[in-house]
Amino acid sequence: MVAAWKAAGFTYNKYLAIAARAVRRSLKDGPRAKAERRGNVEQLKFVKWENGKPGESKTISSESAAQ
Amino acid sequence: MNALRVARAAFKARPQAVQVFKRGYAEAAGPSDKIKLSLTLPHQTIYKTSDVVQVNIPAESGDMGVLANHVPSIEQLRPGIIDIIEEAGGSKQFFLAGGFAVVQPGSELTINAVECYPVEEFSAENVKNELAEAQKIASGSGSEADIAEAKIEIEVLEAIQASLK
Repeated sequence: MVAAWKAAGFTYNKYLAIAARAVRRSLKDGPRAKAERRGNVEQLKFVKWENGKPGESKTISSESAAQ
Repeated sequence: MNALRVARAAFKARPQAVQVFKRGYAEAAGPSDKIKLSLTLPHQTIYKTSDVVQVNIPAESGDMGVLANHVPSIEQLRPGIIDIIEEAGGSKQFFLAGGFAVVQPGSELTINAVECYPVEEFSAENVKNELAEAQKIASGSGSEADIAEAKIEIEVLEAIQASLK
């Protein structure tokens, strides 16, 4: 069986980001505010080099969100 | 000839001595009926190689309980409840949004998740509101990606709702 997120063409990273957001929004107001302020932790960044020059630095999650 | 006899006597004596000092790896490693649990998020460490008795995880292939000396495996996790039975006899329940559980040799369990909160920190009210909103989007006329996104949210929210009851 193919998972729904895979059928929709999402990456696993994107799927997890959506699931995590739903979890954060379901919290009680106190912990929710704290979690929303922190947001999705985006620590993995990458830069594409072309012709010996670095391009723009992007986070993995912003890139998979654009897909 | 005399030296050879002495050497032979020493050789004979050895097996006894070996038996006296024989000790297995498992004994040296301490009690083997506990599993070392690490539960980590990108922003927080909830358990750091803590000894627990049992961990029930919602794996993609079905719910499973992990005890000490479990066979090594890697499991993808569904959004769901993870049940941790601690040494003191108490148990803690967390809801996690998906991730991976790795059972390593030597009774070690490592769980990586994006978000994970104690069940008490969820608000049934907020879940209900979010669910209503996601259902509206899913049955609306938005883009295909929006609908797929809403469907994922519904799946997660329904899992939370089921675990709060």
